[in-house]
Amino acid sequence: MTLYDDSAYPVRPDLAAAHASQLEKLGAPGTWGTGAQRLAIAAEARQAGYDAGVLEEPAEGGPAPELELPEVARRVVRTLAVSPKDVDQASYDDALSGGLSDAEYVEIVGVVARATNFDVFARGIGVPLRPLPAAQSGEPSRERPAAALVELAWVPTIPNGPDGGELGAELYGGKPKPYILRSLSLVPDELRAHIELEGIQYTELSRVFDYENQHHEGLTRPQVEVVAGRVSALNECFY
Amino acid sequence: MPGGELLLAFADAVIGTDPAALDAARGALAEKLSPAAVSAAAAVAANFTKNDRIANGLGIPIDAIAMAGHEDLREQLGLNDYRSAVNTFRHSA
Repeated sequence: MTLYDDSAYPVRPDLAAAHASQLEKLGAPGTWGTGAQRLAIAAEARQAGYDAGVLEEPAEGGPAPELELPEVARRVVRTLAVSPKDVDQASYDDALSGGLSDAEYVEIVGVVARATNFDVFARGIGVPLRPLPAAQSGEPSRERPAAALVELAWVPTIPNGPDGGELGAELYGGKPKPYILRSLSLVPDELRAHIELEGIQYTELSRVFDYENQHHEGLTRPQVEVVAGRVSALNECFY
Repeated sequence: MPGGELLLAFADAVIGTDPAALDAARGALAEKLSPAAVSAAAAVAANFTKNDRIANGLGIPIDAIAMAGHEDLREQLGLNDYRSAVNTFRHSA
C-alpha cells in the first residue's frame, strides 16, 4: 500500500515513498522545533490555504494541533503559505525582532514549503490532502552548523568549497551549488529533505542541464519547464 | 509544444481558487496527453510551489552566472517588477 493508492493517475513509487516518509517526519522533533510545533506549522499553512480558497479541507486531516503558534510564527507561516510574492526582507526582520532566531525561521520556511508541496501535489492529482501524523515526543537537536555565515541571502548559509567544511562537502556532493540548493543549509535536515524532493519531482540533480533527459514518464523536459515557469511566475519568484 | 496550453491551464488551476477549473484542466491533460502527464505536472507544480517559497522566504539572489545575458528577456516578461527581484539586484549595485 502506498500513500496515493486512491489516485486515478499513476504516481511514481519513489515520489509516494518520499512523501509518506517526509509527512511522517513532520511530526518528529526537528532541529529547532518539536514534533508538535512542526505539525502546528504545517496545520497553520493548511488553514491559510483553506481560508484563501487554494486548498480544500479534507474529511480526515489528522489530529488537531497540540499547541498554538506564537503570533510572529503564525504571520510567517500564513504569508509564506498563500502569498509568497509578498515576503520581503522587512518580513524577515519582523520575524527576528518578534523573537524567532534565524535558524528557527529557516526551519519554518522549510516545513511550510514542503507541506505546501505535499498539498499541491494531492490537489493536482485530485485526491484529498493526506492526514497529518500525530506528534512524536522528544527534543529538537538544536545543532547549528559552525560553517554557516551570512553570504548573499538574508539567512546564514554554508558556503561552497573548502569554507563549507565537511558538512558542506556532504550536503553539496563536493560540487558548487546554486543558492536554491544551499539556502536551507542552516538547517541541514531541511536541506536534505528539499533536495530529495527536487530529485524526484523535478529531475535528477546531476542531469539538470541535460535537456534531452525525460525524467517523468508523462512529460518531456520542455513540458516540465512550462509548468515550472508558470507556477513561479504566478508566485512572482524572481529566482 | 504538445499540450502547452493545457499545461499552462493546469498550472494556473492547481494553485488557483476554482476547483471546477482544476477538474477540467486535469481531465483535458489526461485525455490529450496521458494520465501520467497529470501526475507529472502535479509533481512539477508542487515542486516549484516549494522552491518559490524557499527562494522568496530566504531572500536568495540568482547566482551571477545565471543572470548574464538575459536582461532583455527579464524586462519583456516583467520579472524585474517582482518584489523578490530586489534580493538579486541589491547585490549588483
